[in-house]
Amino acid sequence: MTSPTADPTSRFWASVRLVARREFTERIRDRGFLIQVGVMLAVLLAAVAIPAAIGSGSDKYDVAFGGPQQARVGQVAAAQAQLLDTDVTVKTYPDDAAALKAVEDGDLDAYVAGGRIVVHRDLDQNLAAVLQSAYATVERDNRLTAAGIDAAAVDQALQVQPLAKQTLDPDADERDKRKGIAFLGVLMLYGMLMLFSVWVANGVVEEKSSRIVEILLAAVPARALLTGKVIGIGLLGLLQMALTAAVGLAAASGLGTIELTGSMVYPAALVVAWFVLGYAIYACMFAAAAARVSRMEDLQNVITPMTSLLIASFFVAIFAGQSGGTFAQILAYVPPFSAMLQPVMTASGDLAVWQNLLAAGISVVALVGLMIAAARVYEGAVLRTGGKVPVKDAWGKGS
Amino acid sequence: MLDLIGLGKRFGDKTVLQDLSFSVGPGQMFGFVGTNGAGKTTTMRIAMGVLAGDRGEVRWQGRAADAGTRRRWGYMPEERGLYAKMRILDQLVYFAELHGMSRPDARRSAEEWLRTLGVSGAPGDRLETLSLGNQQRVQLAAALVHEPELLILDEPFSGLDPVGVDVMAQALRSRVERGVSVVFSSHQLELVEQLCDAVGIIKDGRMHAVGTVQELRGGDRAVRYRVQVDAPGPWAHAVPGVTVLADGADGVLVELAPGTGEQGLLDAARAAGRVRAFAPVDPSLAELFREVVNGTAHAPSEAPSGPSEAPSWPAEGREEARA
Repeated sequence: MTSPTADPTSRFWASVRLVARREFTERIRDRGFLIQVGVMLAVLLAAVAIPAAIGSGSDKYDVAFGGPQQARVGQVAAAQAQLLDTDVTVKTYPDDAAALKAVEDGDLDAYVAGGRIVVHRDLDQNLAAVLQSAYATVERDNRLTAAGIDAAAVDQALQVQPLAKQTLDPDADERDKRKGIAFLGVLMLYGMLMLFSVWVANGVVEEKSSRIVEILLAAVPARALLTGKVIGIGLLGLLQMALTAAVGLAAASGLGTIELTGSMVYPAALVVAWFVLGYAIYACMFAAAAARVSRMEDLQNVITPMTSLLIASFFVAIFAGQSGGTFAQILAYVPPFSAMLQPVMTASGDLAVWQNLLAAGISVVALVGLMIAAARVYEGAVLRTGGKVPVKDAWGKGS
Repeated sequence: MLDLIGLGKRFGDKTVLQDLSFSVGPGQMFGFVGTNGAGKTTTMRIAMGVLAGDRGEVRWQGRAADAGTRRRWGYMPEERGLYAKMRILDQLVYFAELHGMSRPDARRSAEEWLRTLGVSGAPGDRLETLSLGNQQRVQLAAALVHEPELLILDEPFSGLDPVGVDVMAQALRSRVERGVSVVFSSHQLELVEQLCDAVGIIKDGRMHAVGTVQELRGGDRAVRYRVQVDAPGPWAHAVPGVTVLADGADGVLVELAPGTGEQGLLDAARAAGRVRAFAPVDPSLAELFREVVNGTAHAPSEAPSGPSEAPSWPAEGREEARA
């Protein structure tokens, strides 16, 4: 039944496992958590789907032409549109009034008649180019014919192969998409780090304020309790993170926004991997801070430095990380800034795999030190109820 | 056998425990009484290892207690606390497992204790949906669920209704019958007197008296009698060696000076009128407690002979009581 003779190390990890399992199973059954996951996925899907929907709609135009040359202009415009990779559909209306009404109603993007382009609000540049050049071509042909010159022959003479495009950076297009993934990823990373770290802090105070910690600590060491809590909540976070990344990538590839290649999946995987490291670092700090107070009301007060750090590293990642630069290059190795800078800078091609590994190594070293420190503060503070326990007192435990 | 030996603890400048010792044998129920702030909770927290003592030793079965031995103890802290949103059965299973029980054993034991303690509410109910009295029963179940060898309970009876007190007392008795050692603190002295094999009275962080209630009364304590006589007026004052302590509707309470026989008192009573009641009166635990707290403790002539042998009246305590 009981195994009192088991050695302390295996007993420690058995306790950690039990604590982690409780944190995981209790929270995954929590309705609040499930709602939160649903909202996160919905926001992500919207973020992926809306640009795709807008993007596919923006290059399709309905136009109509008036006047005696309308059929000819329409023909030329359709040909020009093809050349410019623009989709133009030519519609016909019985008279000017009907066409103008269609423009006003938004059924028609533009109506060309009497030397004018009529639009409802504004004229897209692509469409303008198509229409202007079609009109110019037809007008030119008319004048050439009037001057007795064979328009077809001129056309022939002017027929030149359009300039071919050569991109020196073949990944440019893909990189933009990778940046998009990384940006979304960092946004998520920030949200999830905040959410789950605060969860750890709440959990610590919950146990302390309800004094359940006394019963727990009579059975398990404080370190096992801390470790189990951080691992249990972290696994939940990792699960949500992996799920979100998988759903996001699948949705984006399903909608044709991106192609699932290694270079697309890598930034997403990096976000998930850095969630693990970043979470471990922040969770230790949040837990140690939370152990200092006995009431939920006091929690905000002691975790403010940590939340500020988290917010600061988010802004660094968004502003400095996107543009690169020396400042970002240095901070990319400094925990906890590295957690959000690494995915962003790797996506934009500023960091290579070995640099990811180096930063991860530095973070792991920092994490070990932080865990030892956090465990010491936690142990020293968690049983002291009443006011806020000074860090110095918590550090010099046992007294 | 639990031995607390010479515990000492200071919080800042304040000494909360000083050279406190007592022992609890297997199958013994030890009642721990004292005023608020006397050091009961601190003693229990040190015994459980959730607080480190400055001085002294906690021994179990003759060896210094460590985390491994304490895992086989059960604890109910003064400030109750469980996970409010967790289902009660899951909660008890969790605690049993933390104490080293296997999952199936933990489940079986948890279900059994919920039944035994008469917790109303389904095992799947969240704790916060139960009444306070029921929550307290779950709290006791959390201390008992892993079948501990020693129970340390801080004020287990506070906040319980009379039925709850009976259920709790019965649960503790059944543990003691199985050889479990039980230490509990309480302000309900009648209950302590009724339940406990041994009692410790603590004051200002020192143990002032340890022993059975009988032992605490002391062998050479002045003997008291309550005598009810149909007499026209006071009669007891004139009897030599007799001091009247109280005179009321239920008779007079008298104290006999050492060497004074009760037969002389009875003769005097019969001479005064028809004797309706004549009975020796033992001081209750409550009275003994008041004596200690008020510093009028009656000290036996024998010197204390050892930490585990009761009664022991620490010498310093006696001096302080006289001061």
